[in-house]
Amino acid sequence: MTSHFRQAAVIARRDFIATVATPAFLMFLLAPLFMLIFALVGGTGARMIADSGDDAQRIVIVADADYGARIEAADARIRPTFPGAIAPPALERREPLHDAGGAGAEAEAHALFSESGIDVAAVLYDVSENPRLLVGPGADRDADYLALLADTAARDARSGVPPGEPVTEIAREPFERTSATIGGQQSLGFTALFLLFLLTLLLAGQTVSVLAEEKGNKVIEILAAAVPLEAVFLGKLIGLFGVALLFIAFWGTIALIGFSALPDSRTAMASLDPAIGFGPFMALAVIYFAMGYLLLGAVFLAVGGQANSMREIQMLSLPITFFQMGMFGLASAAAASPGSTLALFAELFPFSSPFAMVAKGASDAALWPHFAAILWQLLWVSITIALGARWFRKGVLKSGPSVFRRLGQALRGKAA
Amino acid sequence: MASGFALTATHLIKDFGAKRAVDGVDIAVPQGSIYGILGPNGAGKTTTLRMLLGIIDPDSGVRELLGTTRPRSVSDRVGYLPEERGLYPGMKAREAIAFMGALRGLPWAEGRARADDMLADAGLGDAAGDKIKKLSKGMAQFVQLLGSIVHRPELIVLDEPFSGLDPVNQERLEALILAERDRGATILFSTHIMGHAERLCDRLAIIAGGKLRYEGSVAEARATMPIQAHYTPREDSPALAGLLPPEAVRDNGGYIFDVPDSGMEALLATLLECGHGVAGLSLERPSLHDVFVKLVGEETVEKMEAEAEHAA
Repeated sequence: MTSHFRQAAVIARRDFIATVATPAFLMFLLAPLFMLIFALVGGTGARMIADSGDDAQRIVIVADADYGARIEAADARIRPTFPGAIAPPALERREPLHDAGGAGAEAEAHALFSESGIDVAAVLYDVSENPRLLVGPGADRDADYLALLADTAARDARSGVPPGEPVTEIAREPFERTSATIGGQQSLGFTALFLLFLLTLLLAGQTVSVLAEEKGNKVIEILAAAVPLEAVFLGKLIGLFGVALLFIAFWGTIALIGFSALPDSRTAMASLDPAIGFGPFMALAVIYFAMGYLLLGAVFLAVGGQANSMREIQMLSLPITFFQMGMFGLASAAAASPGSTLALFAELFPFSSPFAMVAKGASDAALWPHFAAILWQLLWVSITIALGARWFRKGVLKSGPSVFRRLGQALRGKAA
Repeated sequence: MASGFALTATHLIKDFGAKRAVDGVDIAVPQGSIYGILGPNGAGKTTTLRMLLGIIDPDSGVRELLGTTRPRSVSDRVGYLPEERGLYPGMKAREAIAFMGALRGLPWAEGRARADDMLADAGLGDAAGDKIKKLSKGMAQFVQLLGSIVHRPELIVLDEPFSGLDPVNQERLEALILAERDRGATILFSTHIMGHAERLCDRLAIIAGGKLRYEGSVAEARATMPIQAHYTPREDSPALAGLLPPEAVRDNGGYIFDVPDSGMEALLATLLECGHGVAGLSLERPSLHDVFVKLVGEETVEKMEAEAEHAA
């Protein structure tokens, strides 16, 4: 057995070095950087376009300076509660040119919509007596805001409060959260689940083409002659897993540095405190990633081993992605309803187990199910490798008598 | 291995679909010998070797490799050059040899050191740091051969080792095989070129159509056919034909016939007594080629020789 691991290590070492010591690996490693750059450029561009459009948007009040000041004061108090991105359009006041309630005032309000230089979303006019609101298409939310301003101004006016003056003094005390929120735990569980899925989707799929490559350059003959196929499979898996770990270590470090540079990182960490503790949770996440990678990677390796050409490999990548999506869906459903039968199923089913269990770690404090799950998953890693190697031996190397043939012979023997 | 055989197999059978690739082959390779498996392409040589090494399992039959019936358990003591050559193109020659050694349990550092020595001995010392893709096909093949023996195995199995090599490298390979034998290794190789088998092998098996046609030493193989005499009398006369074996044919003023079972001496005495004298007499052992023709048929041998020529 130890010699199998030794042989697997030789193969893993070769694969790791052969993968890492190439210019292509640098591209692979930096691929997320390209994505980030494009996302940043695209996002900034989109925001600039959106912003330039937004800048021209207005909500307008037609009011005299006196009453207008009340509405502007209300706007000044309420607007800061909106985050920048969803704040209502800027408020603009126009002097009324006609008497309130007349056709002239109405015509003036209507005319504002066709003014060039600004996009008017809604207009409030006849403000002091019987306010009327003219709402542009798709501007219901802006109209609501304008109505709220008008109503606040009216309240202030009736109770004689000067514009912008608060009626109560409210003392503020900061509270530092030290325990996790339930929402935080669940969202942490889901985030971990999603990250694990994303990483395995991106990385484990690489194993599909490995054996096809070996068949292509005929090295499989050397490997199969010197080493049991199980050790070949394990070595291939570990070699690529090492590559995946290097990738994760690189980006994980960058992400961690970035995260700790955020001003609120400590508070954010507190609200994300997993039930099982942060240290154990991170350790489990790494272990479950390993398990998920090895389990899915072993399946892909075995399936890919049967393929005879790159074309077949490409054909296989679709069902493989769907399989992974299926496992992700199952584990997500389990994370959404902890303790359900579905959750139990997802935790027990070997290929969704790592994903479901990492989410469980965020919201469930018990440690023993994780030890059991890791052993269970390890068992399935070895079962998958053993079955994959057997399948390869029978299907590709055509070793040993075929089961079907034996069955056929037995049946014919009976018939005769 | 108390039996003195590095490898034995009894009645190996292997089917690929409806085709029977190997049909009841028996082989016994004595320890320390050079053993050849001779046969045309598609005869089942490679499949036989793969079964002997445990790369694939036979459908039926028994094999014993270095004293065990589980050939995979002794893979560290075996070296194998597959017929389908292949190395990682991006690997350096030295690393490729060390890698193959490491697969068979040789430490990397030791493998690299031996690789340098072996490459230098083979006259390829300059290539140690070159990547496989930069080497010529023949050189790459030689590197793979060195890789399959770098761990100094007890049993070396070479599948068609001579094909693809130029005459210089073929000679190098022959020298290498003899050197490994002298080191104490047992060597089993397959070939469809009779010359190599004839020069190198202590024993050989001839396989054609998946069946074993002959197993024994080269001398024994030749002994399956009688020695041929080419006799030219000093005094020819019609009576002479009566003294010679009935199947004797006239050739160039002389006669060609198989030496009778009783030996040449008695016949010669009779011929001299009757005054025919001896103007010329030669006794020729049959070549392996002749034996082969007798065992597998003219057509198969012609096909094999055409393949050999094509390969060269």
